[in-house]
Amino acid sequence: MRELRIAAVGDVHLDESLRGRYRERLDDIEEHADVLLLAGDLTRHGTLEEARVVADEFRDLPIPVVAVLGNHDHHSDLPAEIAFMLSEAGITVLHDDATVLDIDGVRLGVVGGKGFGGGYAGKCASDFGEPEIKAFVGHTKRIAERWRVALKELQADRRVVLSHYSPVKDTLHGEPLEIYPFLGSYLLAEAVDAEGADLIVHGHAHAGTEKGVTPGGIRVRNVALPVLGRAYGVYCL
Amino acid sequence: MEAPQYVAARVQRALAEDERTHELGIRVDVRGEQLFLRGQVTGDERRALIADVAGEAAPGLTVRNEITVMEVRGPGEEEKL
Ligand SMILES: [Fe+2]
Ligand SMILES: [Fe+2]
Repeated sequence: MRELRIAAVGDVHLDESLRGRYRERLDDIEEHADVLLLAGDLTRHGTLEEARVVADEFRDLPIPVVAVLGNHDHHSDLPAEIAFMLSEAGITVLHDDATVLDIDGVRLGVVGGKGFGGGYAGKCASDFGEPEIKAFVGHTKRIAERWRVALKELQADRRVVLSHYSPVKDTLHGEPLEIYPFLGSYLLAEAVDAEGADLIVHGHAHAGTEKGVTPGGIRVRNVALPVLGRAYGVYCL
Repeated sequence: MEAPQYVAARVQRALAEDERTHELGIRVDVRGEQLFLRGQVTGDERRALIADVAGEAAPGLTVRNEITVMEVRGPGEEEKL
């Protein structure tokens, strides 16, 4: 079975002032990668004007593009409209579900969604107390459960999880400890470890570091643009 | 006089919540009459806008804009997993 080259980047935070700037970096992407994954925070304020810039920057690439949204893409309460605009541009947008791409006969399964926060094992919010806390933790729990089911049902040769929030602490190194609960949740890693995957990519932690691993040994890569400092990371499976 | 920690917190909140910026990744420090801004952004316009919003949230302080503008490089080396 041939090797798959997975390109990934998150937190491009595009708006009109950046139109065309990212696209010029994608010119020869098919020589470097077989698929491009976008790990959320594609816009700055989650407006439709910004989403149009995102759609134009990533449309008609010679390789498939799969995306999830981030917290910034939710800021204007238009995530469904943004997802629709991206899908019109040929981008597959995951919302706690899966897609399977056929790349020269190799089936690449991608499961994912925005993810959410809560913190990491032993130092996290729990489903207890006021309704506001329960809503916060419950949101993450439901997402993790949907990912687990999607992974369980996934029929593919290679499995990648695409998230905005981080499933592990490793890739947050450089961020202040106090904000870890807003950067991700171990529940996401637990779900993926339970069903297995070859790679997890995420964004959101702009001051974090690129490389980490789940407790179950699955490689994690923080592909937030400020972390990478390059147009996208490429990971070969 | 307001404690510098509260001024810095107010500026940080303004950068996150002001619709011109919505910037979460900037470090804000107040030292005496000076307001230091540090971090990375993707363009000169954004760098200037952040300083404007920060200045408005802390009138009377001198803004020291130490934010750097990040150049996005090509994809570079691939990693074999
Ligand atoms: Fe971001
Ligand atoms: Fe984010």
